[in-house]
Amino acid sequence: MSTWIKACAADEIDDEDLIRWDYDGQTFALFNTPRGFFATDGLCTHEDQHLEDGIVIGQVIECPLHQGRFDIASGKALSAPVCVDLKTYPVKLEAGCVFVDIG
Amino acid sequence: MTPAPIATNAASSGVKLERKTLRQLGKRSDVPGLIWLAHWVVFLLGGGVLLHLSVGTWWVVPAMIAYGAVLVVPTYALSHETSHGTAFRTRWLNDALLWISSFIYFEEPNHRRYAHTSHHTYTMHVGKDGQMPFALPMTFREWLVELTHLGFYWYEIKLFVKNALGRFSPLVLQYTPEDELPKLKWGARVYLAAYATLLAFIAAGHVWPLLYLVLPRLVGAPVMQMFTILQHAELSEDTPSILDSTRSYKGGWLSWFLYMNMNNHVEHHLYPQVPFYALPGLQKAIEDQVPEPDPGFWRTNYEVAAVVARRSLGLSTRAPSIRQAPHMITEGGFTKISEANMR
Repeated sequence: MSTWIKACAADEIDDEDLIRWDYDGQTFALFNTPRGFFATDGLCTHEDQHLEDGIVIGQVIECPLHQGRFDIASGKALSAPVCVDLKTYPVKLEAGCVFVDIG
Repeated sequence: MTPAPIATNAASSGVKLERKTLRQLGKRSDVPGLIWLAHWVVFLLGGGVLLHLSVGTWWVVPAMIAYGAVLVVPTYALSHETSHGTAFRTRWLNDALLWISSFIYFEEPNHRRYAHTSHHTYTMHVGKDGQMPFALPMTFREWLVELTHLGFYWYEIKLFVKNALGRFSPLVLQYTPEDELPKLKWGARVYLAAYATLLAFIAAGHVWPLLYLVLPRLVGAPVMQMFTILQHAELSEDTPSILDSTRSYKGGWLSWFLYMNMNNHVEHHLYPQVPFYALPGLQKAIEDQVPEPDPGFWRTNYEVAAVVARRSLGLSTRAPSIRQAPHMITEGGFTKISEANMR
């Protein structure tokens, strides 16, 4: 079942960057990349560090604590120390706003 | 979900930096790393030529020390920076140089990465930080073992054999995800095979690996250790604040070249996502929130050495100018806090 929630205005996220978004007791990371907007769980799967201070490198998010890397679109864990994929969520843009399907 | 560990970093230390500044400082590029690498290659070649010319004379002693320092200190720095994945933007370049530099440094790269994650999550937390190479507080004997790197060689030999056999220590199991253990096992096997090949090569009468790799690695180690001992010596254990557990000291071009700016060690632990070439910029950006860096390399080393010697002699351990945790300063005698976990 789809549950689309309005998360933020698209221009709140700089190009090649991310913001933290908290909703209903869950925390997410919202990304603006060269290939569009994406949403993932907010916490790194290695040690639950929030990704909000991480560095976006193209389509990759790097965790700020140990520099483990995930593919932003697929959530796939790309390099140690992360080895568990990140959960991703469908995103759509409507009227200049980012909507996330939190399921 | 596993409860989140309270990582020792900027947030746990009360240090703040505007997102835009952090993003700018964390930006990745291959250029600064390649410029650094070119310097290293030139100095290694130059030092190697001088060492070659000095063989058979007494000049071989200073030539070996100089070449050893130029080989080993940057090897440590590169192995550390590439284990973070921050030396270069290009991932394969990071990984290739991680494996090469870690081979000289004498640590299997997968293990190096995981042990170092625990050092960042639990900086100087007894029983949790997997990289506490000396007992606390440090005595003169501990300082000597650390300076010569003898404790490290012994620890790594045991680790290589145990990991290659799949007999992981409780400490290794503590910081390595179970799914990643096979990587540690195979990495240790590959490195042991490579070291055995190197030894066989030397035993067969080829002197150059001994002259340009093994002996300089041993001779250069104390110079490397003079850089690394300063990172946390005489500071606090079991504190969430990097400002209390970690030391920065003043440095210039030599610190950039030999140590990849890791004299800015407080800044590195606060924001490990910032690459080495941006650490001086980070230092400037947060200088009003962090302690004044200790004096330069020589002065800070002298004071640490003097403090540990006085501790072993039962004298006052108050240093003239470097930062010390209050409980490290006594007027004679000390209570042991913890043993080294890399022995």
